[in-house]
Amino acid sequence: MIKSYKLQRTIADVVIYVILGVLGIIWVSPLVWLLLHSFRAEGGVTVPYVFPKEYTVNDYYRLFTETDVFDYPKWFLNTFVVAVFSCIISTLSVLMVSYTFSRLRFKSRKMFINVGMILGMFPGFMTMIALYYLLKAMNLTQQLPALVICYSAGSGLGFAISKGFFDTIPRALDEAATIDGATRNQIFWKIILPISKPILVYTVLTSFIGPWCDFILVRIIMGDKRDNYTVAMGLQKMVDKEYKQNYFKQFLSGSVVVAVPITLLFLKMQNYYVEGVTAGGVKG
Amino acid sequence: MTFIEYKSLSRSEQIMYKVKEFFSLLPGKLKGFFGAIGKFFVNLVKNFIGGLKGYGSRFVQGDMSTKLSYVVMGFGNLTRGQSGKGLAFLAAEIMYIIYMAKFGLRYLNMFDTLGLVAKRVVTLPNGRQSIEFVDNSMLILLYGTMSILLTLVFIAVYIANTKSAFEAEQNQKAGKKNLTLKQELVDFLDGKYHITLLATPVLLISVFTILPLVFMILIAFTNYDQQHVPPGNLFTWVGLQTFRDVFKVSEGANKGYTFVQLTKWTIVWAIFATFSNYIVGMVLALMINKKSIKFKVLWRTLFVITIAVPQFVSLLLMNQILQDDGVMNVILGYMGIGPISFFNSSAIVARVTVIVVNMWVGVPYTILQTSGILMNIPEDLYESARIDGATPVVQFFQITLPYMLFVTTPYLIQSFVGNINNFNVIYLLTGGGPQKDMNLYQAGQTDLLVTWLFKLTMDSNDYNTAAAVGILVFIVCATLSLITFNLSKSSRNEEEFS
Amino acid sequence: MNKTKRFCAIALAAMMAVTAFAGCGGTPQPTTTTTTTGGDTTASAATGGDTTATTGDDTGDPLGGEGAAGPISLKVWGPDAAQAILKEQCAKFSENMKAYGDITIEVVPQGEADSAVQVLTDSAAAADVFGFACDNLDKLVTAGALLEVTGADKDYVTNINSEASVAAATKNGSVWAYPETGDNSYCLVYNKDYVSEEQAKTLEGVFEACKAANKKFVMDAGNGYYSCLFMFTSGIKIDGFEEDGETQKFSDYDEDKAVKTMLAFHKLFTENKDFFLNGEVTKVVDGFKSDTVAAGFDGSWNFSNAKSTLGDKAGFATLPTINVDGEDVPIVNMFGYKLLGVNAATLYPNTAIELAKYLSGEECQMQRAEQLNWGPSNKVVSESDTIKNDQALSAILAQSASSVPQVGIAATFWTPVGTFGNKVVDADNPIDEAACKEIIKTTIANIRDE
Repeated sequence: MIKSYKLQRTIADVVIYVILGVLGIIWVSPLVWLLLHSFRAEGGVTVPYVFPKEYTVNDYYRLFTETDVFDYPKWFLNTFVVAVFSCIISTLSVLMVSYTFSRLRFKSRKMFINVGMILGMFPGFMTMIALYYLLKAMNLTQQLPALVICYSAGSGLGFAISKGFFDTIPRALDEAATIDGATRNQIFWKIILPISKPILVYTVLTSFIGPWCDFILVRIIMGDKRDNYTVAMGLQKMVDKEYKQNYFKQFLSGSVVVAVPITLLFLKMQNYYVEGVTAGGVKG
Repeated sequence: MTFIEYKSLSRSEQIMYKVKEFFSLLPGKLKGFFGAIGKFFVNLVKNFIGGLKGYGSRFVQGDMSTKLSYVVMGFGNLTRGQSGKGLAFLAAEIMYIIYMAKFGLRYLNMFDTLGLVAKRVVTLPNGRQSIEFVDNSMLILLYGTMSILLTLVFIAVYIANTKSAFEAEQNQKAGKKNLTLKQELVDFLDGKYHITLLATPVLLISVFTILPLVFMILIAFTNYDQQHVPPGNLFTWVGLQTFRDVFKVSEGANKGYTFVQLTKWTIVWAIFATFSNYIVGMVLALMINKKSIKFKVLWRTLFVITIAVPQFVSLLLMNQILQDDGVMNVILGYMGIGPISFFNSSAIVARVTVIVVNMWVGVPYTILQTSGILMNIPEDLYESARIDGATPVVQFFQITLPYMLFVTTPYLIQSFVGNINNFNVIYLLTGGGPQKDMNLYQAGQTDLLVTWLFKLTMDSNDYNTAAAVGILVFIVCATLSLITFNLSKSSRNEEEFS
Repeated sequence: MNKTKRFCAIALAAMMAVTAFAGCGGTPQPTTTTTTTGGDTTASAATGGDTTATTGDDTGDPLGGEGAAGPISLKVWGPDAAQAILKEQCAKFSENMKAYGDITIEVVPQGEADSAVQVLTDSAAAADVFGFACDNLDKLVTAGALLEVTGADKDYVTNINSEASVAAATKNGSVWAYPETGDNSYCLVYNKDYVSEEQAKTLEGVFEACKAANKKFVMDAGNGYYSCLFMFTSGIKIDGFEEDGETQKFSDYDEDKAVKTMLAFHKLFTENKDFFLNGEVTKVVDGFKSDTVAAGFDGSWNFSNAKSTLGDKAGFATLPTINVDGEDVPIVNMFGYKLLGVNAATLYPNTAIELAKYLSGEECQMQRAEQLNWGPSNKVVSESDTIKNDQALSAILAQSASSVPQVGIAATFWTPVGTFGNKVVDADNPIDEAACKEIIKTTIANIRDE
């Protein structure tokens, strides 16, 4: 009886391994295709076979050297700078808002929470043009800070998950600290934040990735100022009708170059991500 | 009711419980939702009137320097040893006046008509023409809205100023010392800490989210359509006309048919997209997290890696791979299966393709999101099931799935609503195609209702209609989400840990 | 995920908003060139007509005295491919105008498809002179973003350019832009190894050659830009807008002839379905590279790629004929032009007009034809040896004679026409006469929103 139970479990495990293996391959293969074909030497957009016949790093080389039309290195740097700053501002806003909603009790708190949730649901189209002219009134159009503002200004509205996380931290902690004479400011910085690493990492990750994906706002805000484009905008341009035939392989290699750092970051941080989203998600 | 109590009910009782709970709470929640919105505005007006009430009486009772504060803001505080506060009020007044004089007033003046003259054609001495743009309705609307919001904020500050002056006077009369700036600031780190923390985010959100949204909402009440595009043209207020036009969209034989077809597909899509991701993601998460499975990090990494590629890249990638002559068909060719036109043969093939690709995109997120929750399922639930001889499949359907559904209902409904509005997958993957049904008006067979409505309005530059559609979509989504959010266990148990 | 998802949804919604600008459509609006235009306004501010401080005279200063007030600075938008040559030409212009003013010209890369969007977003920040595709003309004119071409300038433009290109720059009887090229279209590109010059003359011949070589013929039949050729060849042609300025107008057509043509196309495409690849135009050159494609309808912007891939084997020809009832009917497609527009918000209208005239003039068009292989709109350049010796350019120019210009097209045009194309080439669902009539009827109804 025990033996057969064991056998059953082994069979189950084998089945699971097979399923995971097959699905894992299915999941990764498009990305492997991306990687392989970013090194492809021959052909244009598509080729009628699976594996490239010849490999080259030429497209990566062109990506970083032929900068007169697509200044990829400059755009990569722009995106990085924008991502870092908007990540800092977003993380701070999200944490401040969610901490306030979770730990502090004040008049009209419920109202703020509901208004915040409502605002987050508004489809944002048509607001772009308003954003553009607001930034123009502040003399910020065509500059990188404008992007930072756009990506991080509304971030406080994404408080749901981290509020859920803060809700799980026992209140007794605050109370004990208050008795010891700590102000709320001190409680926030010295007690709550240090134990909030998972949600911190989660917020940092999600807000860092945003600027690498957007190619809509950049188009409107930067206009003809190419020096201040971001990577996503450049990649998007490479598959425009005008360029696609010649630049598709560069688009592939450019995508790989974007994906690699984010992937590494993600893999390193995924445990925190899971912790953060679990704690916050159940409640949020 | 806790989960254990809930589980002790029979299957049919459980379903009945859920249904009953939903419907018994629904009217209340709906009422609560709209009530809250109503209350918000009522409170706004009430606070405003309350502020005004004190405003008059304070003027009558106050002494000279308090009275002067009604004209020169901060005067009362300045004369009573609160120079920091007083200067801040004064600065606010000066800044507001400068803003209005240099910028705001011009736009505010034209807010009612949104401009009278779009442009002047000037004939140059050599016979050529040049154009001088005068009023730009869009800028008048935007900067006018900004000035109105700013004025409201200023009025609040102004009333706070009279209050502060009066309080300072009362304090002085009572022989108490007024708080210094430093003392007040210290309070902002403790008692009023919520103001400190919320100030910056609220400011940013007000300027860069709320203001543009108000602008967009106002556009729905104008005639900003293809015939009225600035700078060469003006647009103006038309009231509710645009909303009436929106409901005309479903008139006409093909439009009606399209509406019905796309509604059906939208619902089917939302259900499949939501639950396929949810269930497959959860099963995979269970498998990866099973105790006896090794290389957990490897498995998880395999799936999670797709998240790191920007979504528009991975969708464009999938689009290439699934082309008629793409690599997928090459592989199928090796296996002796004829080429399949994934996006351009029949509706059913394209729809299945979209759902499957959506799984490829979405399942990794579900794995990450459910992993932790799955680990939290009380082990004793499984223990007893195992003793009863339940197979893993039975365990999944009897314990895991119900538990997860119980805990993650709000998440599920949110992603359902999200899928109803899922532009990206459809837009980047199929662009709405295949376009083979002649009777679909301006739509393909994978177009969702939203993508269709926006195509209809935005392609022809009818911004006012697009804004109106946006408002309607919002009302539906917001109602759905808020109800479910409030229905969910989480909001009821918010104080559980306190 | 919710956050990212929401972000993307918003972004895409916005993208739709953006592409809406870039898309096709627009409406005529009676634009008076008198003093004031505006909403339903009263005459309160209609004081127009007072001239600015320019001290222009009739002594032949083409800049109308703008140079006297100080240095002039202009911004010009042109596509990436033309940056170098554009800079050269602008420098030449400044040099030519030295006597009248000190002109500094900044050349900024901006694709022709995108420029109209940018001008409509913020015309004050846009270039003074910009290149754009002619399908954006309606939108730009309706929005009042272009300075009208009047008087002697109008005569100049109409005299030196082909009639069709001027028509593409005309709306409501006024000329609004300066034709820059006449090549924004597509024609037959083939591999001479498989398709002979004779075969390239008829679509039947092309398919025959593909069949013989077991290679494919490529066309983007589900895309309205290409599939409109099925409709136009059948005699169903568009003719601007109805009076409401939104509804597409169709010229009269012979239904029997239309049905016969459609069925001829249908027969040809379905009989040769194994040699037909329905997909975007990049597949033509891709197919040349992997030697799987013998011919295709490819855009002029890809010609140089075809040339560099196939070398001497690259063949270019006007769209072939199709045999309808024993008669070879030439295929009619849509033809676009690139235009130079002068921004209505420019501070230096005279200088900008002069620059646009110069850049669209014979000398500059000739240089572009020689160095960039851009087809001209200028009559003299079109007749030059440079063009006649270039197979690709002469093919595309010959095509323009019978094409439908890409102007005055309703936003509702593209989707139904794409469906029309899909129906014609669909091998799985054969169509007959009755089905053809139904398709024509429904397509027109869907375009006209009836």
